[in-house]
Amino acid sequence: MSYYFAIIGTQDNPLFEYEFGTSKQGGDGQARFSEQAHQLNQFVLHSSLDIVEEVQWTTGQLYLKVIDKFFNNYISCFMTGGNVKFLLLHQPTATAAGASSARNSTSVGANPTSPQTEEAIKNFFNEVYENYVKAIMSPFYKVNMEIRSPVFRQRVAAAGRKYL
Amino acid sequence: MTSSSSRLPKTRQSLPPNTRHPLSQTSPSSETPLPARQLPLHNTNNRRSTPASAASLFRSTLTPPGSRSASPAGSLARSSSAARSPARMSSSTLMTGSVFGGGISASKNQSLLDAVDSDGGGGGGVGPTDPLNLLLRSFVPHIAIHTSEDVDELVRDKGFRGASRGGGGLWELLRPFGERVQGRVMIRDSNGAAKAWEDFAVRFVRFGEGVEELEGAGAAGGGSGSSSGPNGKDAGGAGKDGRRRREELIAEVETVVERHLRFAEGAYAGSAGMSSPPLTPTREAADVEATSPYYALYLRRLLSGMPLACHESFAHPVACVMAISSRNPAPIEALQKLYRETSTGQRSPPPWVDGEYLRYYVLVHDEENGDIAKSMALFEQMKRNFGLHCHLLRLRSSQSAETDDDSIPLPRSDWMTAAEELADIEESETREDFEDPTRYIFESDATAIRTFVREMVTQSVLPTMERNVSIWNDQVASRRRGLSGRFMSLSKRFTFGSSSRSSSGGGSSSSSNYDALGFYRADSPEAIMRRLADFAFMLRDWKLAMSTYDLLRSDFQNDKAWMYHASANEMAALALLIMPQNMSSKTRLETINQMLEQAFYSYHLRCNSLYGAVRCTVLGLELLRLRGGSGIDEAVQWGTRVLESRLMGTVGDALLKERMAVCYASKKGAGSQAWGSRRRKSALWSVLSAKAWVAQAKYVQAHKCLNDARRMYALLPGECGVQSFGVASDFLAHLNDQVKAGLRPDVARGDDGYGEDGLDETEVDEESETLGNKRSRRTSLIGPPGGGAGLETAPLHDTKPATMQGRKEDAAPDDGFG
Repeated sequence: MSYYFAIIGTQDNPLFEYEFGTSKQGGDGQARFSEQAHQLNQFVLHSSLDIVEEVQWTTGQLYLKVIDKFFNNYISCFMTGGNVKFLLLHQPTATAAGASSARNSTSVGANPTSPQTEEAIKNFFNEVYENYVKAIMSPFYKVNMEIRSPVFRQRVAAAGRKYL
Repeated sequence: MTSSSSRLPKTRQSLPPNTRHPLSQTSPSSETPLPARQLPLHNTNNRRSTPASAASLFRSTLTPPGSRSASPAGSLARSSSAARSPARMSSSTLMTGSVFGGGISASKNQSLLDAVDSDGGGGGGVGPTDPLNLLLRSFVPHIAIHTSEDVDELVRDKGFRGASRGGGGLWELLRPFGERVQGRVMIRDSNGAAKAWEDFAVRFVRFGEGVEELEGAGAAGGGSGSSSGPNGKDAGGAGKDGRRRREELIAEVETVVERHLRFAEGAYAGSAGMSSPPLTPTREAADVEATSPYYALYLRRLLSGMPLACHESFAHPVACVMAISSRNPAPIEALQKLYRETSTGQRSPPPWVDGEYLRYYVLVHDEENGDIAKSMALFEQMKRNFGLHCHLLRLRSSQSAETDDDSIPLPRSDWMTAAEELADIEESETREDFEDPTRYIFESDATAIRTFVREMVTQSVLPTMERNVSIWNDQVASRRRGLSGRFMSLSKRFTFGSSSRSSSGGGSSSSSNYDALGFYRADSPEAIMRRLADFAFMLRDWKLAMSTYDLLRSDFQNDKAWMYHASANEMAALALLIMPQNMSSKTRLETINQMLEQAFYSYHLRCNSLYGAVRCTVLGLELLRLRGGSGIDEAVQWGTRVLESRLMGTVGDALLKERMAVCYASKKGAGSQAWGSRRRKSALWSVLSAKAWVAQAKYVQAHKCLNDARRMYALLPGECGVQSFGVASDFLAHLNDQVKAGLRPDVARGDDGYGEDGLDETEVDEESETLGNKRSRRTSLIGPPGGGAGLETAPLHDTKPATMQGRKEDAAPDDGFG
């Protein structure tokens, strides 16, 4: 399971990007995207903004769950109050873990639309959101500015390790 | 000279194919070395005439037939470009061109098509390449043609290859005229309400050809069943055997489209290598939703190869034309012999084809040598003997040359099969003295044939079909529709060997009519109902067709006749999609999806039928797209299914990706922000298709796709598209560099035998009109009008300061593409 997390500003501009892998089931926390997927991830994420724009008006929740699927990539979304979107692209390692995923189907990530996964991603988003709010409270931060804070990055990494 | 095969490794190296990833694209087909071509150094004479005549082979994609449906300005520009094309050859070519009829024949061809077209009217305002129109024109009644030797001879005198020598004979002459029946055609539906259609068509086929062999014992496909198909083949000239498997068809379609693409590449390279300034390869950029000519070609070739299969009766002959000529010494006996051959002979249809199709007797009168009084007398006699389904066709027997006053070129059939076209193209490449395959016929002959086709269709074929529909509907289908019918099917299912089943052959022990051989005999109620549904579909009575297919679906499922099941599901879904919508769209979409799902599953997994799976999903995709709204999302999901299961080859894959971009682009958003539109998605698919084209070294197409992507990104409300994403913009820049490298004339030149006589790719960029509205930065996407320097100024480059490379400043920062 590999993850690509991005915070998208109001102008479709990325404010923050982070790639990581699962830390559950003995994962080492490294992303395992192939080079092709690595190149396409940003396109895929960007293209699912179309769906976000449509879905965000249909629910009052901030967490929109899995909104889009592109081949084997699933995209979960979390809206913030300021129309900044958290997008998480998760790619289950389907081909490799095809057999084993049936066995530990309860594990996070094996089944991207299962309630457990949704819950885990929700927790992840919530924790990131909390840190995000703290980060943008910095008096030097302006709207749509890239978030460069190393502390924030560490915290996102920690949240990823903790929940995903 | 660098051939594309030597250039490929470089390309592929920079894009390492990863077979694990679903998006990865390996292109084995383009790895095959190009066939040996004539070197550009010798025999320049041939090189002058060859490209011109070969260009007519590729006419369907070079001058897209869709031009008629476009806006007046666009079509004007395009038709003028067709007329201009000879002028673009060098002056010496122009001189030979007037003799051999290169580019001029293209415009003349168009004139006959126009004549046929204008006779038939506009066809409801949809272009001929519109997928719905393609669908309507592909599921049409098939009319077999069976002629005597003397007709063959007469047609051979007219300059056509006779059937006994591998040519088409009368069939070749008639075929283009079946593609649009002149004038309005009135069709009555099952309720007796008449509706006029302007674009009705029939398909002429050679008798006893294209019969598909049975696949084992039905369900589990892949078997090499060798039963049936009792036709000894003799017309092997076009290199096509009727029994070839449908699976090969996809490969053939791929090859044909690949040839067209390769020709376009060569033509572009040629035009760039000429003294005239290089022109942008972008064509018809104005209309986002326009069907790409290659995609239309792909669809058309896919649909034109419909085999004479047992599980659907579209390709079964509705009528058979039996022709003799006035030269025949014993005409009535000859006709009787032909009749015997169609019903009992060696080439008589297999047992799943209904043998009771209409026989239509034609006397071909030789205008120049024959005695009309004698022919009239004979014709009267024919009418007395055979009834009213007769026609006297008066043709001149001498060959028409292009220089004759009243000669018109016989258009190449739009619906030739992939194998035929492939054979033509290969011939044009291997033979040095290949001449323009266009044949010429006299205007009077054309008129006579048009009248003949119209009369046959409106007075014999359609009434027969209507009568059959109403008879079968009353006698077979309506019995099943009522309550008792449902009981009957239940009792049939549960009581073994009951009397409820009618005369089924085969002596099967089960109660089903599904033979042990794996088909329904033509006289079983299921087969009759299937024929009823197909006839209704061909007569465009969607409601009746839909309800009948619906009945059949459950029957076939109970009998585990999976091919039948898949096909019935497919057609039910298509009929439902074409029908005017009155149900709530939600439920309908669900039903349709379910049907398509079953069809896909049965075709793909149960029967392993590639052709069926591709056809049902692609047609479903197109019709869903036309639905608009959420249908578009469904359509793309189907496309993704096809891509995921890797049904198509590399060319089809790339075309499909291109098509998905069009699908998403046609979804309209709401409000000023266009919420609900799918522009980013569309751009993503454009990028993917560009990548796929680059992997196949089809740089012209790739360039077009990249342009589409850029345009979509420029339309976004946000300021910068994907530009602000680092990896993505790097990727785009890299892709763009590859395209530019591929399009550079010195590399691309000589890569193809067609050299410097490229005819097309000359469209002036029309983007400026559609795009140059409120955003000034868009003009930077276009480059100066006239296309003279389109490639050079197109700001595809990475515009980060470090890699600025001295591009034009105005093309820089915010074109959304980095």
